[in-house]
Amino acid sequence: MTDTNDTSDRIGSSSSRRRFLALGGATAATALAGCNSLFGGGDGDGSDGGGGGDGGSGTSQGAPAEIPSLSAFRGSGTLVEDRPAPDGTSIQDLPNLSGSMNLYIGGGEGGIYFQFVEMLQEIYPDFQVFASSASSSSLAQTVVQEVEAGSPQADVFWSIDASSLGYVADNEAYEPLPEDVVEPVPSGFRGADNAWVGVAGRARSIPYNTNELSESDIPNKVAEFPNTDVLAGTMGWAPTYGAFKSFVTAMRLLRGPEATREWLVSMREAGTERYPNEFVVSNQVADGALNAGFANHYYALRVKNQRPNAPIDLAFTEGDAGALVNVAGALRIQGTEKDDLVNNFIRHLLSAEAQEFFTTVSFAYPMIPGVAPPGGLPTTDQLNPPDIDLAELSDLEPTLELMREANVLG
Amino acid sequence: MKVRERVATARARAFEDEESAIGRGLTLLAAAVAAALVAPLGWLLVDVFALGSRAFSLTVAPQTLQVLVRSVALVGAVTAGSVLVGVPLAVLTVQGDLPLKRFWTVVAALPLAIPSYLGAFAAVSAFGPRGALADVLSPLGIQQIPTIYGFVGAALVLTLYTYPYVFLTTRASLLSLDASLVEAARTLNASRWAAFRRVTLPQILPGITAGALLVALYTLSDFGTPNIMRVEVFTQFIYARYNAFMREYAALLSLELFAVTAVVLALESRIGADDSGAYGSSGNRGAFDLDLGLWRYPAALLPALVGLVAILLPIAIFGMWFLRSGPGYATGSMAFSWSYGLNSVWVALLAAGASVLVAVPIGLRSATSDSWAASLADRAPYVGYAAPGIVLAIALVSFSLDVLPWFYKTLPLLVFAYVVRFMPQAIGSIRTSRLQVDTGLVEAARTLGRSRASTFRSVTLPLVLPGIATGAALVFLTTMKELPATLILRPLRFDTLVTYIWRVQEAGLYGAAAVPALALVVVSGLSMAVILAQEQRTD
Repeated sequence: MTDTNDTSDRIGSSSSRRRFLALGGATAATALAGCNSLFGGGDGDGSDGGGGGDGGSGTSQGAPAEIPSLSAFRGSGTLVEDRPAPDGTSIQDLPNLSGSMNLYIGGGEGGIYFQFVEMLQEIYPDFQVFASSASSSSLAQTVVQEVEAGSPQADVFWSIDASSLGYVADNEAYEPLPEDVVEPVPSGFRGADNAWVGVAGRARSIPYNTNELSESDIPNKVAEFPNTDVLAGTMGWAPTYGAFKSFVTAMRLLRGPEATREWLVSMREAGTERYPNEFVVSNQVADGALNAGFANHYYALRVKNQRPNAPIDLAFTEGDAGALVNVAGALRIQGTEKDDLVNNFIRHLLSAEAQEFFTTVSFAYPMIPGVAPPGGLPTTDQLNPPDIDLAELSDLEPTLELMREANVLG
Repeated sequence: MKVRERVATARARAFEDEESAIGRGLTLLAAAVAAALVAPLGWLLVDVFALGSRAFSLTVAPQTLQVLVRSVALVGAVTAGSVLVGVPLAVLTVQGDLPLKRFWTVVAALPLAIPSYLGAFAAVSAFGPRGALADVLSPLGIQQIPTIYGFVGAALVLTLYTYPYVFLTTRASLLSLDASLVEAARTLNASRWAAFRRVTLPQILPGITAGALLVALYTLSDFGTPNIMRVEVFTQFIYARYNAFMREYAALLSLELFAVTAVVLALESRIGADDSGAYGSSGNRGAFDLDLGLWRYPAALLPALVGLVAILLPIAIFGMWFLRSGPGYATGSMAFSWSYGLNSVWVALLAAGASVLVAVPIGLRSATSDSWAASLADRAPYVGYAAPGIVLAIALVSFSLDVLPWFYKTLPLLVFAYVVRFMPQAIGSIRTSRLQVDTGLVEAARTLGRSRASTFRSVTLPLVLPGIATGAALVFLTTMKELPATLILRPLRFDTLVTYIWRVQEAGLYGAAAVPALALVVVSGLSMAVILAQEQRTD
């Protein structure tokens, strides 16, 4: 228990702008009890659908499905213990899924999210998903090409980055989702015209080594990083990674190309080290090879879950590109003949169980308010992300140009 | 008199063969097949037209030219490096009296079985800043090791994993070398070096060039290695633009890449054009021994060193990933299934079989005909070999959606992509083996009254069979390793070893990549055995 408290203390050190939810053991126990009652059964899996029979729209309701207990939807490790029960629509209250469906799912985090789809297929024996994975941006272009040629192959596009969803939306290769499907998700994490809906959040963050820095060393604006001595030449980044490019795009949209280029140049000249991906950056921070880095929030949590004593913590900037919250989201592809199945599938992705799964297995930010953020991090409301239309992140050409000009190759 | 007449008739027939309907038919077939393979790449033009007048300004933009120069420089460096490593190793293992000669031959060929991106990853893990080597050296007071990243590092890694092309083709030439010529030169008081330079080298030059061509085009089309080694080359530039929703720009860059390929091909045909060296008499082939004396022990260090770095290092790194991925990784299962391995082997077999069917007419025709159509049919498919997987995938997606929608995202389309991309390797080996068929044997068979078909079946075919097998094995091997085109073109729910490795690596589960990576290397290693076994037959 002390170990757990240590962990939540380190990950969630308290400050006004980074308030973390450090849950005591007692609260958690109550919460777990609550969840048992919500899901009608503990690990013994006695839940043959306490509320399932009469729940949902009932349109395609056959025999009530066997929904596993909550623990089956949770990851393992110290970061997952002591979580409150998720609040939101339970899978039990949703119509059963049946029939087959083709899914394009973005690589990277998508590989982990897909395990939830595998669980759904176990829950609903009549439900089958044929999936294909490639990079999200590649799949987005494939979707647009297929729709333009009049032969779409997939029913759902599940991207790990909003820019790819924005690209498909701009090219009008989607069908808008019904209001009642997307309704649980705050409007900032949905596309215009309900073109897509966020399923899991990915916040930009500053992982830092707690032996080398304290969080007060890290300015609350990325703009101040180049002038911060303790960060000069001791940071790492992964400019080829899509999320980093989205971060630069956000900075360009907020502060203009000139200031963004200058920022990149001064960070590079300060000696910021390049890495192939942000998981490596976060591991290097934990190893003490770097004082701090630029990475999506979940990488540090993964390091932490793997090595609970690693001296790594997360800081967030405020109201600028460094605090961008990007999303993985789902989109219904134009031309699909499986509207109901797709809608119900997306409802499942936004259920309490699914959101708990994404939050505890891949450490993503939940998209529905009833589920607590991973690892005691602040909620997206508390994070103060910049005011940006996520779909605009698809305008990457000028971003790549200015990264080139700054000699930070993307 | 009668015999002389027969010979004359046979000669006439052989000559007439060039003009005959069958000869022309074969040329046409070869040209048609080559055109069918290259045509879909033309679909990139459709994308480029969408750029309008911007196309020109992008083509001559300084940034484009800068990347172009860097790519060409990398191709030059890797090709030169591969010749410098591959040729001495081939000479040592064929002619030198190395201890455990056969073992070193296998070791020297084996790096080809390892995907260069896995090799690059291992190199970075081992020699990168704070890598395994740095960990070993830092207690000894060595804080700074030269960086592995950048142009030099990329050139070294690529050389390490592509030189076997030169090694194998050079070995093949050496094995069919008429050793009596070298003996004659030595008898005439030529020094060992002079005999090598004036007799051996000209004879094996076509073999070296054939291997160097494969190395050059591989380097031009490789994405993973330069990307990991942080060198911005054409493929990396294309990939970044494609992933930034700039497909048209990516298509334009791809066309420029093809222009570079055309130049490389023209250069190669200049050097390798003299095929006369490839004809060997049936004399004392390859038996010539280089007596190294005591030097044979230090000489064995060369293949040992290469094997250590190129083979053992990645295996050690995979093993480390495997052991490190202990519990605590709460990222769930993402279970590996052996069906991915079966899928890999299955598509690779299909690709190898289809490639042989396509390559046989092209390879045989280009070896026996001097017509421009035959040589164009021989050269043109190499464009496919130089096409980076991502470019091929972009072109084939557009092509099949516009022209053959029912073909889109099917297994045949995937196999077609592999054939376009890798079949040229088979053309090379089939052509070379056909060139080495003693024309006297064919003439003799015809003189003795055999029909053309029967001669082909009983004389030519058995002699070119090793070349066909080598070609098929090369296609199999490279198909097993292919990633970018597989990722985009494969049917839904079809995973192979490499797509699985990609998925788990993208998700940061390096430990999960260890078993499939080893399986990939083992299966690829088996196909190397096929290639080397063919050599023993010609030995």
